[in-house]
This record gives sequence, structure tokens and C-alpha cells, in this order.
Amino acid sequence: MSTLLKATLLMATLSFFSVANAADILIKNARIVDGQLRDANQQSDILIKGSMIVGLGTGLSAPANGRVIDAKGRPVSAGLFNADTQLGVREVGSVVDTVDSSTSNEHITASLQISDAYNPSSVAVAYNRSLGLTHSLIQPSNGAGILAGKASVVRLSETGAILVDTAAMVVSLGEAGSDLAGGSRAAAMALLREALEDARDYSKNRESFARGSRRDYSLSRHDLEALVPVVMRQLPLLVRVERAADIERILDFAEKQKITLILSGVGEGWRVADKIAKAKVPVIFDPINNLPASYETLGMRADNAKILHDAGVKMMFTGMGWQNTHNAYLVRQSAGNAVANGLPYHVAIQAITSNPAQIFGLPGYGEIKVGADASLVLWSGDPLEVMSNPDLVLINGKEYSLESRATRLRDRYYSRLNSN
Amino acid sequence: MTLPKPITTRIDPMRARLSRLFAYTFVASSLSACVSTSLPDSRAKSELENFAPFASTYKAPLSPPTIIRDATVLVGNGERLDNTDLVFDQGKIVALGVNLEVPSGAVELNGKGYWLTPGIIDVHSHMGVYPNPSISSHADGNEIVSPTTAKVWAEHSVWPQDPNFEKALAGGVTTAQILPGSANLFGGRGVVLKNVPSITVMEMKFPDAPHSLKMACGENPKRVYGEKGGPGTRMGNMAGYRAAWISAAEYHKKWTDYEKAVASGDKSAEAPSRDLEMETLRGVLKGEIKIHNHCYRADEMANMIELSKEFGYEITAFHHAVEAYKVAPLLAKHDICAVVWADWWGFKQEAFDMVRENAALVELAKGCAIIHSDDEIQIQRLPQEVGKAMAAANRMGMQLTPAQAITWVTSNAAKSLGLSDRIGALVEGMNADVVLWNGNPLSVYTKAEKVWIDGALMFDRSNPEQNHTSDFNLGIISPEGDRP
Repeated sequence: MSTLLKATLLMATLSFFSVANAADILIKNARIVDGQLRDANQQSDILIKGSMIVGLGTGLSAPANGRVIDAKGRPVSAGLFNADTQLGVREVGSVVDTVDSSTSNEHITASLQISDAYNPSSVAVAYNRSLGLTHSLIQPSNGAGILAGKASVVRLSETGAILVDTAAMVVSLGEAGSDLAGGSRAAAMALLREALEDARDYSKNRESFARGSRRDYSLSRHDLEALVPVVMRQLPLLVRVERAADIERILDFAEKQKITLILSGVGEGWRVADKIAKAKVPVIFDPINNLPASYETLGMRADNAKILHDAGVKMMFTGMGWQNTHNAYLVRQSAGNAVANGLPYHVAIQAITSNPAQIFGLPGYGEIKVGADASLVLWSGDPLEVMSNPDLVLINGKEYSLESRATRLRDRYYSRLNSN
Repeated sequence: MTLPKPITTRIDPMRARLSRLFAYTFVASSLSACVSTSLPDSRAKSELENFAPFASTYKAPLSPPTIIRDATVLVGNGERLDNTDLVFDQGKIVALGVNLEVPSGAVELNGKGYWLTPGIIDVHSHMGVYPNPSISSHADGNEIVSPTTAKVWAEHSVWPQDPNFEKALAGGVTTAQILPGSANLFGGRGVVLKNVPSITVMEMKFPDAPHSLKMACGENPKRVYGEKGGPGTRMGNMAGYRAAWISAAEYHKKWTDYEKAVASGDKSAEAPSRDLEMETLRGVLKGEIKIHNHCYRADEMANMIELSKEFGYEITAFHHAVEAYKVAPLLAKHDICAVVWADWWGFKQEAFDMVRENAALVELAKGCAIIHSDDEIQIQRLPQEVGKAMAAANRMGMQLTPAQAITWVTSNAAKSLGLSDRIGALVEGMNADVVLWNGNPLSVYTKAEKVWIDGALMFDRSNPEQNHTSDFNLGIISPEGDRP
């Protein structure tokens, strides 16, 4: 082969890959589903250049050298967001070497930063991405104390996955907090109070602490450092809490402590919906839950989401059920069931796209508009319908494969069965 | 820090759920029919022969004849009939057709825009044995004291006030097999229940349904017993099953010899002593108790089939058969149902090779595919699980219809329970277990409007005051109000 031909081939290969990585794409005739109230019959073209949406409207011209995809009325949503998963930190649940979601080391509680363990090459990440999930809040589990550590926002891309290292400080109260604190939910509150007071004291007295002339603290220095942004009101405290009385208590506590809250769980949130709304505290929960799984969730009901929304509470969803990591994409099934139980459709879409974008400060993600990131999914049908599937998944303009380890296994055995 | 020693496994709710899943696997067993096979002695023989302890006391309530007009009917046998009328009376399906006559005194409903299916059947549930709230006081599904506990019966653990039952009913579930967990090689007998409000379990028991025996392969038994004397490996699991079946074969022979002697008029024949463990296993060897075998991996399913041949019993179903698609022709050949989730995976290594098309690939191999819940939430929307599995299969290239796919939670499920002649299809003469849906039942937006069991209206979404609620729910949120 001549040197010239080799060079030509190399260039062709390079240009092929550059196109594949950041092809300009025109999606024609899409129904945009982004949590805005829109006419269901209205169709729009979406022009994507590089990583961004650069045009929205009808009759847009195809980009030079770009792809044109006719959606034929199929919906396009932002890639889905699940607000409580352990994607990338829990590969096989029972294989402890692959699970990094918590530690039993009591010197590391608040300072555990879950993004340190995140693996973008996880099979579960690729699988969920192929099924339409593009973003998630990764929450640590409790290990040695009520403080689980720092939750992180990731996007399910191969590079640049960590969007927000420290998105919230996670703490468990209620029954789990009681268990961790020695058998009383009041003890959990006492520990939290002590931790925040220590963090406050520490933040004002770092030098005397370094000299060894400050009193003992309840937490290690790194844990206190991790809590300083919480007491400075720069970082929300994400509190896992279910019972109505516990929710009221932590709302009061946060007001007195002057800290910012996100509530997670809120099985009985509907009973104190007005108070949550008044405090402007967003909530994370799985709207599919409706059973009294514990004494703190006696009031759990299928229309919790509807009642919270009616009161004005901003919601983010997780789910579905306990499979919220390996099947994190099924947050859309939970959202669909919330709609079946009275939640307005566009609000359900907001809960799995634009609400987390606003709450965690992700400019570019969540809404479909000019200037936004092209992190989009083209669906075969309604994204909340269980019988729909993605036809195209883009993260920042990059198209990701709809194949996964599961489809590879499927195809191997499907072809064997067909050849029999 | 003054915190107690961390015990990470007790804390996280998801972990708690998982540890339950790991510790309880399914066991099914069946009813009273087999009990009379082992007589305690020959003294009061005639009385004992007729006494089946824990027999069903279920009685279908009286109900008027009912006709539902112009509905879309998924018959449950793979067929779909549009604009069709359904008539049931005295607990049985009377007719399915067009322009049917209204029986006298009938309740007449306009089914235009509604869909009908047979009552949904969940062949793998822990309602009642792991009820809500899931507190340790209620955790009665896994006899984790020995790897071999074929002697226990799940029905003896069922708490009929579990508030899960009524939620499952609202999701169209009319029949559920309640299984023991999967910690043990032999977990115990399962029981088939009608999803009716009851104070005793006997009033829920499906009359004359066979018992099942739950067995468990793989990770759970070896994990639970690995440091408690074993089994500690999969080969240890196999040795454990074989040892039990060897004993069962001896027990079976002793009793069979005795029964033959009595039948031949030998008045001096002495009854062998009863052994509850062996009675269950003998019931399997006699074909009276159905094996419902928790088994994820394809290679283990093949081993279990060999085991069944060695000892001469039949396996009815593999549950949680995540890798069924790898051995679908083998399962079809042995007429073993594959009972699967639509999409659960990744919580343990043996659940790593999940494909969403599992049920469909079993169907493609002409096998018996069943979708189960094993879950308090999913049991409330099993048709959605069917919808997901169907849609994935059609994306792969199959052309399954809702009428075919609904068999995964109706007729195929009935077959695995030995109840094909009574439930699972809306055909003449079958029990009138009927669900009226406000749309395609496979859709996320669809709900059951009305649910009948044996022709009696048991759930009516438009009439919530009439729907039964568990004792547990009364006054527990506020003195005057029930739990929603």
C-alpha cells in the first residue's frame, strides 16, 4: 500500500470518527416533551450542532454533512434523571468488592464523596443509558453513622461524567437514623445537632483546632470540613425521612439552624404537604410506593405525588422500587404511575428532567431549547409508557449505542433459537 | 464518635429489602389433598382418611348474573375478541360472544372502551408471610434453621390482614401462590390463595389446589449455610438435595408397602411413623405436590432436571429463571415453566445475565413463560411487567400481541399451579375470575375498574366505600380515618 493511500485512509478514518462523535443532527417532526405545557399535536425540528441544540422550529434546513432523522411525530425528551441511584458505585449488589456505596469506617461519614468511587464503565451505566437515562444523583448509603456522605450528580457519558462532585450532604433520620444512632430517632437528631454545631465551631476556629487547643469534636476533621458548606448554607442537607412528624421536626430544625434542605423518602409527605411547600423544600421519592412498609410509612399512598404537587412542592423522582440502580431508567415507570394516580403529565416529566437540573444547578440540561445541551432521547412512543423504548440516545450531542451487554446476550440466544 | 459499632446491613432500606430477597426465595407447595396420604395409625383409620387438616373453607359469595357488553377481551388463551359480551353466573363463565342475551336479573355493564382479562395470577408472592409492615414480628417466610425444611407450610405463616392483599386485588390479582423464602434447599410448602378478605387462611385457600414445594438453587442456600455447617457450595447444594431424596424414596417405599398391605386386607400391618419432612417429599414423588424451584442459572436448571430424573419426580417451574432463555428448548422439552421477572437484575451474580426478552424467548421455544412479581409493589401492576417484556421482544423482532403476552400472567400461570381447568381463561365453564380494565391493561396508565372472583364483585374502583380494607388499616393514621 502506498504511503499516500495509507494517509488518505487514515484521514478518512479520522474524519469518520469526528463525524460519529459530534455529527450535526437534524431531528425532524419531533414532539417535544420537556415538562412545558405544549400542544400535543405540535411538531418541531431540532437542530443539533456539536454538543448543543442550535435550532428549534419547523422547516429547519439539514446541516451540511449532518444526519437527518425523521421522528415522524415521535417524542423527544431530555435524557432522564433519576434522583436516587448508586449507578457506577454498585456493580453487582451481593459482590462486595464491586460495591462502594458506604463504609463502615467511622472516621469517614460526611467526608465520603461518592464521586470518588464512580465508574463510568459500569455495565449498569451503559445499560441504563441505552434505555434513556442520561443523568443521576448518586447517593451514598449510611455506613458508620447517620451522615452517609456527599451525593454527586453524574451524566452517563463515557467522559466528563461527574457534573457536580458535591451536590448534597446525605443524612438519615427516622427509623434508619434511630438504628444508626443507638435506638432512638431523637438520638439521631441529637447527633445531627451536635455535628452541625461542631462544624460551625470548627469553621471559626480552624487554627486553634490545628494547634490542639480546641475542644473535642464529635466528628473527624475531614467530616467537619465536609459539613462546613452545609452550615454556611452553600450545600443542601439531603435528609432521608418518611414520617409526617419527623418531616415537620426537620423542617423546624432547618429553619432554626439556617440550613437548606432536600427531603428524600417522604412517604407521609402528603400529610404535611403545605408545610413542605411553605419551606420551599424540594423532595425526592418514588411515587410508586403505596404500602405501609414500616411504621414510619403507615400513610404511604399512591397519590402522594399528586397531593404534594397540588400543595406546590417541587419534586424529583426515583424508582422503580428497590431496583433504582440497575433499572434506574424505570424511574419513568414510576412517573407514569404517578400520572395514572392524578399527577399532571408535564409535572411528572419535570420531576425526571428539569427539576433536578434546576435544583442541582445543571445549566444546559433538562429543558429543550436553543442553547441547551443536546442530551436528548428520541422515543418510540410516550416516554412514560412502559411499552415505549428509546430510538436514539444523545449526551451532549454524542450518540450512544442502544446495545448493551443484555442485548448482546439476547442476540446470541435469539439467533440460536431462530436457527434451530 | 460515640456511635455504636456499624452494622451496615441493617440500615439502608434498600439493603433491608435486598437482604429479604436474598434470604427468602420462593417455595411453593400445595394444599390439603396430599395430607391424607399419610395416616398416623390404623386405629381410627376411617375417620382419619377423611380428615384433611387445614383444608379450604372458602365459599364463593352469592352474586347476581352479570353481563358486560362490547368490551375488548383478552381471553387468556392467546385470543383477542373485540366488541364482545361476557356473561357469568353462579361463579362460572357462561358465554363469550356477540349480542348475548341478558340473563334474567343480571347486572348489565357497558364495556365499550374497556378491556377484560381473566383474573391475574401471581405464582410467586410472599403476601402474608412477609407482610407489610415488614417488621421482624411479621417476617415468617423463611425457616432459616436448617437447609432442609420441606416440613413447613407457608400457609401456617400467612397473616390474612396483610394490607398488600387488597392492593394486589386493586391491580387485578385474584389468585396468588404464597411461597416460603429461598434460604433453604427445601423451603417448605407453598399455598394457592384466592385474594379474598378473610380472617383465617383456610377461608382463602383455593379449594383442591395442589400444594407446591419450594426448592432453591444457587447463591442463597450456600450463603446462608456456608458458615453454619453447609451447604457452602453449589455442589454442596446438590448433595443436600440428593441426600433428602434418598431418604424420601425409602420413606415412600415404606408407606407404599404399608398401604398395599392394608389394601390387601393385612390387618396386622403396622403403620410406619409419620415424618412431616418426608411427607412433603413423598407428596412430590407421588405427583401430588408440584415443584416450584427458585433457580437463576441455566446450568443449575439443567442439573436440577437431572436430579429430578434420578429420583423420578417432575419439576413444574423454575422461578426467578433469569437465564431461562439460555435453556429454553430444554425447558420446553421437559414441560417446565420459566417464571421470570420482566427486568430485574444485578442484585447478585446469578442475576447478572438478565435479558428483557427472557419470557418471549421461552415463548419462542414453545415453552411456558410466566411473569411473577415476588414483590409487593409489582404484584399491583403485573400487566405492566408483561407490557415491558412484550415491547422488548417486539423490538428484537418478534411480533407478540397483548393477547399472547397476557397468558404469562393468566393461563400459563394457571397451568403451573395445576389449575388450568378452573382459572386463567375467560372460556365457558371456567371460574368467573374477571378484571375490567379502563384501557389496555399493559399500559402504565391503565387501572382495574372492577374485579370479580367466582362471579362476585370484590373490588370496584368507582365505589371505594364498598371495598374491603384490612383490620390493620382502621384508625391507624387518625382515629376516624382508614389508611388510604
